[in-house]
Amino acid sequence: MSITLPQWLDPLPWIHYSKDAEEGQVRQALDAAAPGEKELSTLLSPAARPFIEAMAQRARTLTRRHIGRTIGLYAPLYLSSHCPGGCTYCGFASDRENERHSLSAKEAAHEMAAMSAMKLDEVLLLTGERTPKFDFHHLKPFIEMAARQFDLVGIEVFPMDEAEYRELAGAGCTSVTLYQETYDAAQYDRYHRWGPKKNYLNRIDAPARALSGGLRYVGMGALLGLSDPIYDMLALYRHARYLQKKYWKAGISISFPRIQPQRGDFQPDYMVDDTYLAQIIFAFRIVMPEVQLVLSTRESQAFRDGMAGVGVSKMSVASKTTVGGYSDDAGYEESQFQISDDRDVETFCEMLKSKDLEPVFKNWDTVYRDGAEY
Amino acid sequence: MSQMLKIKDQVLGSRLFTGTGKFSDTETMVKTIKASGTALVTVALRRFHKDSAADDLYGPLSELDNVHIMPNTSGAMNAREAVNAAMLGRELTESPFIKLEIHPNPHHLLPDAIETYEAAKILVAEGFWVMPYIPADPVLAKRLEDIGCASVMPLGSPIGSGQGIEVREMIRLIVRDSSIPVVVDAGIRSPSDAAAAMEMGVDAVLVNSAIAAAENPEAMAIAFAMGVEAGRAAYEAGLMSRSREAVHTSPLTSFLAGGSV
Repeated sequence: MSITLPQWLDPLPWIHYSKDAEEGQVRQALDAAAPGEKELSTLLSPAARPFIEAMAQRARTLTRRHIGRTIGLYAPLYLSSHCPGGCTYCGFASDRENERHSLSAKEAAHEMAAMSAMKLDEVLLLTGERTPKFDFHHLKPFIEMAARQFDLVGIEVFPMDEAEYRELAGAGCTSVTLYQETYDAAQYDRYHRWGPKKNYLNRIDAPARALSGGLRYVGMGALLGLSDPIYDMLALYRHARYLQKKYWKAGISISFPRIQPQRGDFQPDYMVDDTYLAQIIFAFRIVMPEVQLVLSTRESQAFRDGMAGVGVSKMSVASKTTVGGYSDDAGYEESQFQISDDRDVETFCEMLKSKDLEPVFKNWDTVYRDGAEY
Repeated sequence: MSQMLKIKDQVLGSRLFTGTGKFSDTETMVKTIKASGTALVTVALRRFHKDSAADDLYGPLSELDNVHIMPNTSGAMNAREAVNAAMLGRELTESPFIKLEIHPNPHHLLPDAIETYEAAKILVAEGFWVMPYIPADPVLAKRLEDIGCASVMPLGSPIGSGQGIEVREMIRLIVRDSSIPVVVDAGIRSPSDAAAAMEMGVDAVLVNSAIAAAENPEAMAIAFAMGVEAGRAAYEAGLMSRSREAVHTSPLTSFLAGGSV
């Protein structure tokens, strides 16, 4: 199956800046008054690697100026491990033999209580792809439940239509996170072997549908390692800029998930080492100084500690990627991916404070949810 | 001793207003606010967290002497949300001040003039002392004064940009024509920017990023306090005109004195 990327998304015209970059171009990119695709491509090039310290310094200055000496904290809550998807790299793919579970209302209440007890105020609800075992009508009550307890409720679930997103906004959902995984259509087709996720364009358009439906924030990202990172990161940047132009009120955040070897012995085609991941994040801070850049507990303690406040402005903490992982009363074992940083909230916050960074749990208020009346 | 600043019924002992965002910890924030000598601080309603003292910005601020709290509506996308937030802010702080800020775009944070005007009408009627954060638009400033706002707070340049006062001529017109205090809010990077604004006759400046993002916020707060004082004192002393150099000849008007043309 061959897909032509829409012109607003296609990164190809800018790839060559990365291939051709030399020291002089990197310096120009760092000095650019209004950096865009060309500068991002240049800063992602091998020629920029020796400039990693200069990029870090710039990234930290911009992060302080636009976001502050603060790190926003959130944690994921897995509602279901049922998934009809055939994503080669995922621990929840339908051909994995592990058991599947969805939380009952009572179990979810226990999970949310456990997360509240950890002082968390932003929660990201996760599921697999849409399946009769876990569909829209299963999801909505969990959002309503979470919205009674947390000021900011986000979802990282299956793509929906605009009417569904609108209904979820009304139920108290503020943000949608949806990674394209890879923008490289051929690789996308290869990794997503079956299931609803096979539809590349449906997924590309989902963030726009969410914003049309009244959600305020969209979280975006590509799973680094699935294709050429320069291609993926340029397309991701173009996707974000497109959404900002089309939906001028949209809040954008960018995450940098990196593929980890999973059960099923999946090995990524492209290796993104720590230095290159740092380079990518610094480059994004330089070209998108005002957006939240997010780093999850997939990454190691040392890497997260080093990146906090230096480009990265939002982090998950004390995450469990198992269904029922916070309250332990379910005791399910299957997890979507391995956590590298398993520090508890208190320990993590101590680290932030030691780096003169303030952990921020609450940065939103239910008063800003649609439907409230004066 | 410079003239006292009065907003509605409240005399304020300092012309430097400060924000509370972007600090590395609450202790630094409190020390910095004290060092600045400010009498009015603004705090975002979304950073109120009554269930968690460690995460709550309002608690420590409420204990400061001689500092008035001005909740702000940052996060509001439209008039309705801003009004809701203002109501909640007043309930929690019992402060009559409200910094009305409506910036639908969460990235550049530029104010929405239309929604701000609509919200201001409602909040003035509800008895708030409304301090709207606005684009530097002299007509909008007068419209907001006409409906009873306590002050206007035009931006000098975008929040966090540190570009200083990029809209100098607009601010000058606002100051010239305003009968309510004018506060430059956003864009100020340095004490000299603050002094320059004060020399133009603005009544106060609100500074957040430039202090919070400084290497030493507490020391920078003191520097800003001095900049604001100096600028105000210079304004009150009356600046020398830029064109006071003697004009030796009057080639165009010498004929008026009977000279030859």
